[in-house]
Amino acid sequence: MPSEVFDVVIIGSGACGGTLAAHLARAGVNVCVVEGGPKIETRTDFNTHAMPYEFPNRGIPKMRNNKPGFDTERSRGLGGKSMLWNAVAWRFGPRDFEGYTRDGVGYDWPISYKDLAPYYDRIEREVGVCGNLDGLEDLPDGFFLPPAPMKCSDILIQRGAAKLGRKVIHVRKATLTRPKFGRPACHYCGNCMAGCDVAAKYNSWDGHMRPLMKSGKITLQLDSVVFDIPVNAENKVTGVKFVNRTTLAQGEVKGKVVVLAAACVQNVALLLQSKSSRYPNGLANSSGRVGKDFMPHFTGGVEAFLKPLIGKQITNDEGFLDHAYLPSFMHTQKRNYARSWGAQFNYQNRRSVGWARALPGMGEAYKQAVKDRYPSYFVFSPYGEKTPDEKSYVDLDPGKKDKFGLPEVRRFLYWNENDMKIFRDMQQQSRAILEAAGAEIHRVYEEPRPNHEIGGTIMGKDPRKSVTDSFGRTHDVNNLYTLGGNILPSASEKNPTHTFMAVSARTAEHLIEQLKKGSV
Amino acid sequence: MSDNHYDDGRRETIKIIGAIGIQCAFPFAGDELYGQHQHPVASRGADPGPPKFFNPDQFAILSKISDLIVPGAVKAQVPNYIDLVVRSNDGHRKTYTDGLAWLAEKNFLKLTEAEQLAILEPICVAVDRGETTTLEQKFFRAAKNMTADGYYTSRAGLVEDLGYLGNQVLAEFPECKLDEH
Repeated sequence: MPSEVFDVVIIGSGACGGTLAAHLARAGVNVCVVEGGPKIETRTDFNTHAMPYEFPNRGIPKMRNNKPGFDTERSRGLGGKSMLWNAVAWRFGPRDFEGYTRDGVGYDWPISYKDLAPYYDRIEREVGVCGNLDGLEDLPDGFFLPPAPMKCSDILIQRGAAKLGRKVIHVRKATLTRPKFGRPACHYCGNCMAGCDVAAKYNSWDGHMRPLMKSGKITLQLDSVVFDIPVNAENKVTGVKFVNRTTLAQGEVKGKVVVLAAACVQNVALLLQSKSSRYPNGLANSSGRVGKDFMPHFTGGVEAFLKPLIGKQITNDEGFLDHAYLPSFMHTQKRNYARSWGAQFNYQNRRSVGWARALPGMGEAYKQAVKDRYPSYFVFSPYGEKTPDEKSYVDLDPGKKDKFGLPEVRRFLYWNENDMKIFRDMQQQSRAILEAAGAEIHRVYEEPRPNHEIGGTIMGKDPRKSVTDSFGRTHDVNNLYTLGGNILPSASEKNPTHTFMAVSARTAEHLIEQLKKGSV
Repeated sequence: MSDNHYDDGRRETIKIIGAIGIQCAFPFAGDELYGQHQHPVASRGADPGPPKFFNPDQFAILSKISDLIVPGAVKAQVPNYIDLVVRSNDGHRKTYTDGLAWLAEKNFLKLTEAEQLAILEPICVAVDRGETTTLEQKFFRAAKNMTADGYYTSRAGLVEDLGYLGNQVLAEFPECKLDEH
């Protein structure tokens, strides 16, 4: 690596890193993106269209041709998790920014919906989000491509929900329903989370960085796993130190600004492991809050068979997985908990028949029962907002190290009383909606399951209680930023990536100004 | 794909324009980069190969059981799939060897099918209720799980029996015709 000092060094190339890199490069800022994995080509490197019976053990490997290095657990690889996400793209609603004021639990954001709205606009206009204009206060409308039609099963649920006074709307996804930006429209193969081979689904490489590569302002430092962010005597970070993931050779990239955008828990881990005499408990951790306030979404789930579809002819309704959504409706209702939940459904494709295990019987009758229920199988998946508590946090394992010699991350999760009240309510109401839609309940998940990771270095106004400001700039070090789920002070019940991207776009604008002024 | 449910000629915009295994021509090619892309040609099914873990006697009993659980399982090579899973998972080996030994003692393969079912069906009922305490129940649970998994991930089970239609290239997602039936 040359001894060049970049304007901005970004760790991670996913939705946050990619958005930031593209916005900065467009403004002429010289950026280096340090990515822990290899370059991934969405057209050729995934097993997007493979079938299980092509493999002796019936497991479809994510990567084709044994493409090495793409760690699907940590999503190391160009594009990060945006390569494998399901692309659900909600704006958070105004209420989501003022949780503490409204409920007396958790935290308010240091910014309001109005501060973020222009950046949601920008993201929708530049990556393409499909959806319907629903006029809901909690799910603000934006600039949408036409939604994909609902599936028959969605319409049955919509009718069931309507009987209970609940609304079911079209899902909004960062997936193109019309060709745009030089990318084709979705072809509804149903394999979105296996890597979209045409990039109709947004990923940060095809959607953000690739078009900006010709600017010459983005340098990719691939296969480089960052292990330290050094800080100098003037309390400035100077760049990042990394290890090559195959040769284990060490290297360094220098920058005026460092932005940590390696996904929620990895961001926390990197701060905690970047210890120095000034920051013995981890970089930017004078508050002791790095790793705290960990509050991933939790899901419940009810699997069911929709009776009107049992025994019907199978149709190709894979689509782009989930086409509809049950928005949060709790804010205006009397309830015994803080915050709310919303529900995604139908995001499993029909290649997966794992539910057959739990269907009773054997022999021809069993086989017929599976066949009859196959067109009617339905998963209802509510997502709840976890509120913070001191028993839910992330830290570094004092003993275990990964293959790069870096400490393993430990996640501690506790479902507090409020979480469990939400969980029980969403399970009960999910069942009620399914029953109103005419469903045979197959299986109800008994425990909350963690999902989208949120928290760990939350933003806030008080440097004793939070780690960053609303731009993700750490209170302790003024040229160190972090973006991702880790800085959200509350999770809402909505899929968070659109908000990550909007926050990243806002930070890009802020950084461009700071660099112009020479104040970082 | 004239037998496709959606291609009824009435909604002209909805046409299946490609299937997996051929070069896709997108109706709205975005640019030359994405407009044409090569789908890998699907193989006719990766053969799990001959059994390596189970001996011929064990494999014969296993084959009979999986065919009783899901008729057609043997033809779909489900026992070979189970062998592959069991030989690479220490945790399952004892469950299978114990279970198969128990049935061997009963001369399972010499019994009539009615007698075989008289042994298995009560266990199936208990297992479906969620009981997995006895050796027999543990074995049957594992055998039913893996038979279902193996069969419904095979071409015979997933495509030919259930009629899986996904993994295609559609120009548009079809509107639901729920109320027209």
